[in-house]
Amino acid sequence: MNEHYDAIVIGAGHNGLVAAATLAAAGRRVLVLEGRDTLGGVAGTEEVWPGYRVDSGATDAALFQDEIVRKLDLARHGLKFETSPALLLAPQPDGRALTLWRDEARTVQEIARFSARDAERWPAFARQVARMAGLLRGMLLLAPPDLSALRGGDLMGWAPLALRLKRLGGDDMMELMRVLPMAARDYLDEWFESDALKGALGGSAVVGATLGPRGAGTNLGFFYQNLGGLLEQRFVAGGMGRLAEALAAAARERGATIRTGAAVARVLVEGDPEPAAVGVELAGGETIRAAVVLSNADPRRTLFDLVGPQHLEPETMRHVRNIIYRGSTARVNLALSGLPEFAGASDPAQLGGRIRVSPSLDTIERAYDAAKYGRYSERPYLEIVIPTLREPSLAPAGHHMLTITALYAPYALRDGDWDGQSAAFGETVLDVLEGVAPGVRATMLHCQVVTPLDLERRYGLTEGSIYHGQMGLDQMLVMRPIPGWSRYETPLRNLYLCGAGAHPGGGVTGAPGYNAARAVLSR
Amino acid sequence: MNNHTYDAIVIGGGHNGLVAGAYLARAGKKTLVLEKRHLVGGASVTEEVFPGFKFTVFSYVVSLFRPEIVRELNLPAHGLTILPLESTLTPTLDGDDYLYRDGDHYQTLRNIARFSRRDADAYDDYGRSMYFMAKAVKYILGVIPPDPTALHPKDLMGLLEMARHFLGLGQEQLYTLAKLMTMSAADFVEQWFESEPLKATLSASGIIGTFLGPRSPGTAYVLLHHYMGEIDGAYRAWGFHKGGTGGLAEVLATAARAQGAEVRCNAGVARVLTAGGRATGVVLDNGDEIRAPLVLSSLDPKQTFLRLVDPAQLPDDLVGAVRRFQTFGSSGKVNLALDRLPELGCRPGVGRHLAGAVSISPNLDYIERAYDDAKYGHFSKQPYIDVILPSMIDPDMAPPGKHVMSCFVQYAPYKLADGEWTDEKREAFGDAVVDVLARYFPDIRDIILHRQVLTPVDVERITGITEGNIFHGELNLSQLFFLRPAPGYAKYRTPIKGYYQCGSGTHPGGGIMGAPGRLGALEALRSSS
Repeated sequence: MNEHYDAIVIGAGHNGLVAAATLAAAGRRVLVLEGRDTLGGVAGTEEVWPGYRVDSGATDAALFQDEIVRKLDLARHGLKFETSPALLLAPQPDGRALTLWRDEARTVQEIARFSARDAERWPAFARQVARMAGLLRGMLLLAPPDLSALRGGDLMGWAPLALRLKRLGGDDMMELMRVLPMAARDYLDEWFESDALKGALGGSAVVGATLGPRGAGTNLGFFYQNLGGLLEQRFVAGGMGRLAEALAAAARERGATIRTGAAVARVLVEGDPEPAAVGVELAGGETIRAAVVLSNADPRRTLFDLVGPQHLEPETMRHVRNIIYRGSTARVNLALSGLPEFAGASDPAQLGGRIRVSPSLDTIERAYDAAKYGRYSERPYLEIVIPTLREPSLAPAGHHMLTITALYAPYALRDGDWDGQSAAFGETVLDVLEGVAPGVRATMLHCQVVTPLDLERRYGLTEGSIYHGQMGLDQMLVMRPIPGWSRYETPLRNLYLCGAGAHPGGGVTGAPGYNAARAVLSR
Repeated sequence: MNNHTYDAIVIGGGHNGLVAGAYLARAGKKTLVLEKRHLVGGASVTEEVFPGFKFTVFSYVVSLFRPEIVRELNLPAHGLTILPLESTLTPTLDGDDYLYRDGDHYQTLRNIARFSRRDADAYDDYGRSMYFMAKAVKYILGVIPPDPTALHPKDLMGLLEMARHFLGLGQEQLYTLAKLMTMSAADFVEQWFESEPLKATLSASGIIGTFLGPRSPGTAYVLLHHYMGEIDGAYRAWGFHKGGTGGLAEVLATAARAQGAEVRCNAGVARVLTAGGRATGVVLDNGDEIRAPLVLSSLDPKQTFLRLVDPAQLPDDLVGAVRRFQTFGSSGKVNLALDRLPELGCRPGVGRHLAGAVSISPNLDYIERAYDDAKYGHFSKQPYIDVILPSMIDPDMAPPGKHVMSCFVQYAPYKLADGEWTDEKREAFGDAVVDVLARYFPDIRDIILHRQVLTPVDVERITGITEGNIFHGELNLSQLFFLRPAPGYAKYRTPIKGYYQCGSGTHPGGGIMGAPGRLGALEALRSSS
């Protein structure tokens, strides 16, 4: 046994690092333990082939909270965001492509090529989304109230938000309550008629969930993804891994210690009848003690694998077992000898944002159907980013990387296993890609398929769920991660959750880490 | 021109219209209930479609009817007779085996244990949990939804009382309730159970009347909605009404008349008369005008706001909200006249089990696939079917020795991808239903004497319900409580003074519940006095 720490953070994903830096900034002695050799977890950047680097999971940091950037002075530690004039390119089967630009007038003009009515409605839609997002954004950095004991203190933080709600006026408030639990499809149908436009927007609704756009509550997913602004995106200069590096630098500067290659085997529990976390034991047997332990691992992995059922009440066990993970996001990384040509996009500037292959909401819905029956989709929905357009250094000169997020690829296959089907799924994705970017296959130098099983093995994500538990209405706010424990504490004293499994959920927000650290500091 | 003057007119003689009429008359109002068809009941009718064979044409069970209505209108004295329908038999996919649940609790547990011991162990927990949930939520069936955005003291008190009610539930129940409001029926029941027939047959309650599959979030609420009726054991509120659901409508009409209301059939309403922003009466289809200072519509919101009155005189936000109100019908009905009692392949012979429900819901995938067909605009090739044999419960429904079979079917979408419903498509849908039935009732084809197939288009044509939606509108979170049918108009009132809503499109929604009729009438009485 060596030093004694105030806090140990398990996992150096971006949330773990935010928590560590926030605690360190408050003067706590903090140790971060990361099992892998690189930082950032699924929000990192890794070299997959010599000379080719790629974001391991998340590619966009639009939701990363500015308050954290400011408080931790991340700009000074090298964090820089980049944006692209094109937000979204949606190639169509007929060879056309819809481009949504940062510039609204240009977007309206572009939509008019598909529907004059939709073009006319776009500005009002953008305003409504902005209004709703503005309201919801305030919730990211608040711990959900404790329903079992509605204490004044818990609710104080929510008072400004409630006031804003009130100020919105009855109509907007009613509208918010009406639209949030809707199916994204129903909501988009209320606004628009063009399949191309609705399909392009609909992809935002199903990130991190095994649900189709007809699923009730997917509209909440849509708003969540747009909290930073409608279709807003912010890339991290140099790759997502730079965010983790900036966070690590900020934490270290404030005195935190970060150890990589130090996998935690279990949380040490002592005390009877009131057990509490007192530290951790590493895979090598080393034990380290601390006053509190924060886990950046997902809730089930934390409570079942690291703590162990013997320390939990049956009721807690039941809730943890019932968390819906159901990862169905796969990643395909391609190294190409040149920039691919997408049908309908003659200007490379159109490729600078996201590229979504979802010509209608039904194409996403049909892709989802397969997952319901434990099969991967034969026509998956793809979201593509070409990071080398902004950051040529990620690949050898002239070469390009394509980062493809493919839905749906359910973790639980009914027949066979992912190791046997990974290559075939990769081919399926390439087929869809070839359909909108003819000739791309011929320029392919390398291809990597990352299945939900790979995500679980590599990053410890239970069932490959990139959001540490599905982001459905039933697993949000006071229900996240399990009923009664939405305030970062866990049923085990001195153990906190600081990852995406806690409120507000997944994506590169930094919010769970930040909120958890503040919960620890306010003890 | 007829110039009878009434105190109140109720448009629509469905069960909610009749309930409303009875309450208005009971309060001393000279009340007239107008029904466009030749018989009362709306979607709650029994008709002798083929000589000697009486069909519960649309709705077929009474499960949600409010006990306070039974009490306040003294319905037993007017003939209310609910016959028990207490078993559910769920055949397995191949039709060789079945899961049987009935009033014999311990035998039911043993039956479940044949599929899964774990499920048998969890069954009581589940039942208890749902019992408490239904009991907790039942409270809202009797209240007028307060407006959460209003600052009126009555709304604030209502909200406070509701908050107190729900927070008083205890933590665990509160969270279960939150899950029920947001989860899919399949996910919800999978928290307890693992065996397919049990999961599927329980989840099926979550899709009835909705255009959603068991794996669609939000369906757990519909499951709860259907569960609420099962708990008023003392009133024997769950079952089959003597004479079918039309029998219940007759009882309600009798009760309304006993209170002094007039119930007139063959009297369709063309529109509501207004003057200076007030309702003054109605115009019938035949041109007759009838005057009354109070007019209640039990029709669905689209009929109430877009057809019966001129939408131009309504606020834009209301018109927009009503246009958006999701009314897509998804349920069909196949009624069969049978030469003799059919036999189940998995349980041959005659027995009590044929006096219960036979649920064709062998596994979750089966129902989900039926939904997949429908969501892309096709009727389910292998639909979910809830079968009952009304003549086994009430022998008067068919000639001696003969039988009637009522098949509630999902999914039959109101709109098809390949164009309108035609007679051929309707019969093809009927054939699909019979094909599925034949897998479980091997002799069914030989004993069908007559067949009536109803798609949502038929439901709309006959009853007038927009898009044939049996609940007058989806029961989803965006269309419930203070959002039903439209934000700001959930309290049975309309922007037109003296014009009120009292149909299933209002809180608390569809099913033979009577609550909208009662609450609508009470609100009309209160705010007009």
